[in-house]
Amino acid sequence: MTGGFYLSRAASMARKEIRHILRDPFTLAWAVGLPIVMMLFFGYAIDFNVREVRLVAADRDHTRASRELLSLFGSSRFFRVQPLEAGRSAPADLVQEKTKGVLIVEPGFGRDLGAGRPVQVQLLLDGADNSTTGLIVSYFAGIQQLAWKRLALAVPRAPVALVTRYLFNPELNSHWFVVPGLAVVVMGILSIILTALTVAREWETGSMELLLSTPVRPLEIILGKLAPYLGLVFATVVFIYLMARLQFGVPFRGSHLTYLVGVILFLTLCLAQGLLISVLTRQQTVAVQVSFISGLLPTLLLSGFIFPIESMPGFFQGLTFILPPRWFVTVSRGLFLKGAGLAELALPLGMLTLLNLLMVGASLRAFKRDVEP
Amino acid sequence: MKQTPWAVQVRDLSVRFGNFTAVDHISFAVRRGEIFGFLGANGAGKTTTIRVLCGLLVPSSGQVCISDLDCTADARAVKAKVGYMSQRFTLYNDLTVEENLAFAASLRKLSEETIRRRTRELFSFVDFTFPVTTRVADLPGGIKQQLALAAALLHDPEIVFLDEPTAGVAPAVRARFWELIRKLAQAGKTLFVTTHYLDEAENCERIALMREGRIIALDSPARLKAATFREPLLEIEPKLGAPRTWVENLQLDPKVARLQPYGRRYHVLILDPKAWRKIAARMPKTFKLRTISPSLEDVFIRLVEGERA
Repeated sequence: MTGGFYLSRAASMARKEIRHILRDPFTLAWAVGLPIVMMLFFGYAIDFNVREVRLVAADRDHTRASRELLSLFGSSRFFRVQPLEAGRSAPADLVQEKTKGVLIVEPGFGRDLGAGRPVQVQLLLDGADNSTTGLIVSYFAGIQQLAWKRLALAVPRAPVALVTRYLFNPELNSHWFVVPGLAVVVMGILSIILTALTVAREWETGSMELLLSTPVRPLEIILGKLAPYLGLVFATVVFIYLMARLQFGVPFRGSHLTYLVGVILFLTLCLAQGLLISVLTRQQTVAVQVSFISGLLPTLLLSGFIFPIESMPGFFQGLTFILPPRWFVTVSRGLFLKGAGLAELALPLGMLTLLNLLMVGASLRAFKRDVEP
Repeated sequence: MKQTPWAVQVRDLSVRFGNFTAVDHISFAVRRGEIFGFLGANGAGKTTTIRVLCGLLVPSSGQVCISDLDCTADARAVKAKVGYMSQRFTLYNDLTVEENLAFAASLRKLSEETIRRRTRELFSFVDFTFPVTTRVADLPGGIKQQLALAAALLHDPEIVFLDEPTAGVAPAVRARFWELIRKLAQAGKTLFVTTHYLDEAENCERIALMREGRIIALDSPARLKAATFREPLLEIEPKLGAPRTWVENLQLDPKVARLQPYGRRYHVLILDPKAWRKIAARMPKTFKLRTISPSLEDVFIRLVEGERA
């Protein structure tokens, strides 16, 4: 009756926890609401794709060549070209955010082109919005290629032609970039917060005393308490995966088994982090705050989910090395978009395993020390 | 293994949290089948002692045996023999009565059949008549407390630790709860009850008074009273128009060992009977005087004062 580890005790802990989840509107709202809200938010509301950017064109040349150049921009689905209204200056349009860029063709463009002299076209961009502007510039390069071809007769061939081709995500579709990372964010936040709350709640209500006055073992408490959340968060991962594939048409080019391994590594790591927070804080309100700071912020900002790690200051780049979401974002994108194999993912998977062992070890130790007399 | 007559044996127990000594070298023993009261103010060390006895806390020093099992070495075996009802309500409010009991039972690995039989027995014992599908949150406070007791008794423990079981419940429920405690003792269980209601402690066979981590007295209520008050304790009741100044002057009289207001009455202790007869002769007629037997409160106050002196 008092001996070793009993799965049945862990199972009845789990049954009790499932009842708590089903009867607590707050937990349910988080578990069901967060993935859906994040999906709508990042999938639909936020769109990093540049489409139909308004460009104002000031054609001061009025030749066939200048008109053809401008129509090239117009025919691309990235830009919508409007002529500069009479009496307005180009910078005024930029200041008033009527446009993101102004294209100026100076008089003599057609003549110089016809004569085979080098020609210049000026593009004024709104540098205040550097994300859009950066994208315009990269599209602009493509259009320049096209322009050379169309108007090439008189243009000297560039000695070196740089041709950019985007691998893995040829259309630079931002859904492809964001959605695989979204699973990481939702998993990270949900699992940390829910576990941080669940153990803190037992301390707060005093029911931990009841548990500990029985012969139940710490490991049974932990497995029983965490199993339902593991299942719950795993279900949201499946939901996000299906949404990514069916709704957003994101490809999955790697091995599903590797993805499963990554998910389990990352998920248990997050649960352990939540447990550690719970043990250290013992209060639900504090646990939520610590979860947000240690879970949500790094996952959103430092994982490379949206902001590229390469463009962070050195200190933060170093910091991301010990952040699990950073490694799982890498694994996730590698598997969805690049078809990366185990060899390519050795570093991120290895780091995830290492961090997982450290976090699980630390949290179990802390929990055992906390509950054992 | 030969059973000793002791359910609980504590030798030189100390519990320290950092620099703070919660329990300071206490020793006592509780007989099997006894109702043992643990009295003291908040922070006197009652709950800390109980937590050690239930295996929830490792003592800094000293030895604790529960039913002849060493608490530190056999913590799990001890947990099987004791039932613990914490000071705080520990059942889950969002689960039903049935779910709570089934959960508590499953942690102790009781069989389905045992759970059904014990639940039936305990429900009739505590006179629980609500449907088992009621959520605990919807039960009245006193009923919740009785349900918590039932949950602590599910595995039929030899020794039951009740930490302030009647704190914050209505007087009628308190009386009812003590009736249950007496019934449990009649059924052969050992009951270890903490309380800070001194009137409740009269129900205990023996009581230990705790103060600042130490036991300052331990005996049956009657013997404690007899030992503390060898002289008669007197009660003075002022009637309408009684001069308050007379009582105030009495307080200044060096022959008066103690004068304690109790509502509008006063408990007076005078060690020298001759001196008392003199004072009584001078007493205005508007005061009524009688000899009373001391309450545990008198005992407690005198003992604490004796400690201070």
